[in-house]
Amino acid sequence: MHLRDTFRAARKGVTANASRSFLTMLGIIIGVGSVVLMTGVGKSMEGVILGQISSLGSTSMVIFPGSGPEGGEGQVQVGFDSLTFGDLDALAKLESITNLSPILFVRGEVTYGREQSAATILGTVPHYFENVSIEAAEGRVLLDSDERGAKNVAVIGPDVVFDLFPGGNALGRNMTIADREFTIVGITKPVGSQFFQNVDDRIFIPLSVAKIMTGQKYVNMLTMEASGSFELAFTDVKGILRRRHGIQNPTDDPDKDDFIVRSSAQANQILGTVSIALTLFITFIAGISLLVGGIGIMNIMLVAVTERTREIGLRKALGATKRDVLLQFLFEAVLLTLIGGIIGMLLGVFLAYFGAAIVHRFLATYVFALSIPAVFVAITVAGATGLLFGIYPAKKAADLRPIQALRYE
Amino acid sequence: METSSPLIELRNLNKSYFSSEGLETPVLYDVHLTINSGEFVAIMGPSGSGKSTLMHILGFLDSQTSGDYLYKGNPMREVDDDELARIRATEVSFVFQAFNLLPRTTVLENVMLPLLYHPTIPVPERTTLSMKAIDAVGLHDRALFMTNQLSGGQQQRVAIARALVTNPKIIFADEPTGNLDSASGRQVMSILQKLHSEGHTIILVTHERKTAEHAERIIHILDGKIDQDTKDFKRLMAEKEPTLK
Repeated sequence: MHLRDTFRAARKGVTANASRSFLTMLGIIIGVGSVVLMTGVGKSMEGVILGQISSLGSTSMVIFPGSGPEGGEGQVQVGFDSLTFGDLDALAKLESITNLSPILFVRGEVTYGREQSAATILGTVPHYFENVSIEAAEGRVLLDSDERGAKNVAVIGPDVVFDLFPGGNALGRNMTIADREFTIVGITKPVGSQFFQNVDDRIFIPLSVAKIMTGQKYVNMLTMEASGSFELAFTDVKGILRRRHGIQNPTDDPDKDDFIVRSSAQANQILGTVSIALTLFITFIAGISLLVGGIGIMNIMLVAVTERTREIGLRKALGATKRDVLLQFLFEAVLLTLIGGIIGMLLGVFLAYFGAAIVHRFLATYVFALSIPAVFVAITVAGATGLLFGIYPAKKAADLRPIQALRYE
Repeated sequence: METSSPLIELRNLNKSYFSSEGLETPVLYDVHLTINSGEFVAIMGPSGSGKSTLMHILGFLDSQTSGDYLYKGNPMREVDDDELARIRATEVSFVFQAFNLLPRTTVLENVMLPLLYHPTIPVPERTTLSMKAIDAVGLHDRALFMTNQLSGGQQQRVAIARALVTNPKIIFADEPTGNLDSASGRQVMSILQKLHSEGHTIILVTHERKTAEHAERIIHILDGKIDQDTKDFKRLMAEKEPTLK
């Protein structure tokens, strides 16, 4: 028998009882659909998370005062005073890092007339804006001259504009921060969040002004960029800080340090590990549902073989070989799972797309994504399921003796 | 050797069925039989006599327990499953009492079915051959009907068309008129008669004398043995009247 004819006979077997075929496929449809949907959601989430980091720039590094395991749950203490301006000067001499920008947090009320804002106030230097890739939408960011002259100027985020100036026109106005008058010289572009902190709700003032306002002898945070490799930058930074702080730490045990160094690459790595674990978990669940779907297919194929025993007998009487009958029923099983797989894929894509459209309204960085390899793997596995679970019923059909099959009641 | 051999030769053929507990039920005892090409043979006998089993063995649907079946002089004992399938596809065909057509399928597709399993007939010839066979049974205008739209007599004619589409050497008919009214039965038998006159070997199983009358040779089976093998139909009928309808 030509393969094309075998295929036609198998197709007829599927379409002859369309509603039952559909019910049989449901297991596969749900299995493949959930794989496609969940891997798509995973990818979209990954995009959201990576967006938090990549907007920082790939060479970004941060030092916090505090201690704790690298890349883990470090104890960041806001009042911790381990990072001094002396450290800053020493680090500034390193070749392996650039754009060293200290940050001081300033506390105080932010007002304009009767309007108030709960914005975070950061005292920093112009390089900071490069480190975190923040640009001015209107006016400018901080300049070296602001820093040197300790000028009372402020660059504010779009959320602050929204809080204080409901009518717009913030640029050039004077606002009050902790009873001090500041002239607004710039408004930053909306960025959203970085590392899950809202960057748009910030006020930036010159570091020199912040020093005067707080009287602090230490910094709350240091941002910088690695000029070459992260490894070299890490070694240099840790070496200098340990020497200056008198810490003996030949084993590189982060618990002994009084500072925490982080890089965006590290964060990437951690999130990568998390997303692999998540993907494996989803795949495992989907595998179980495909297995269940496969058993459903086997069950219905066994029913089909019993139900069509006389047809098999007739085909054999007309000259069908074992191989013809085997292939016909095997094709039928594979066809069932493949069609189920394709319907499942379309359903998964549709749900992922539809879901993304909704989530996107609340989380702008969540966009529709598909894991193309997962789509192919899911459909291939569905087909393989048909093959695997189709073999037994097909073999059973092929092994029937013609006369037994013909006489079957 | 080939040419001089009879078409079918059975020597000391025995057939038993075995239950799953291994219990033996003998069906055919020591059957000797020769059928030549072009004959029209009716196998008769009361139900349970073994006539259907004999036909199934002759038609390669079943195998004997012991003894020899020589087809064109070749012992069938040594033939494997694939070769048997090939013989069924090319040399023989069947007409069943219950028609055995595929449901939800057209007349044309049903008639074409044996051609799908035929090893040598090329694909483009399938439709022409099928239509020719459908013409031969007078169903030309029904070719695209679904089989369940036809009457019993028409369905059996479709089955006959299916049986002759591969132009087989032997056509086996197992109670072909058993499910039909007498008019349809006569029609079916006259088609078989015509096929016989065109040179087909026809082997018919029946217990109806009206059906058997069309054959030129009657083999009467009783309790698994050939009890009469005659061309004198009237004499047989006179003798066997009590056991045959």
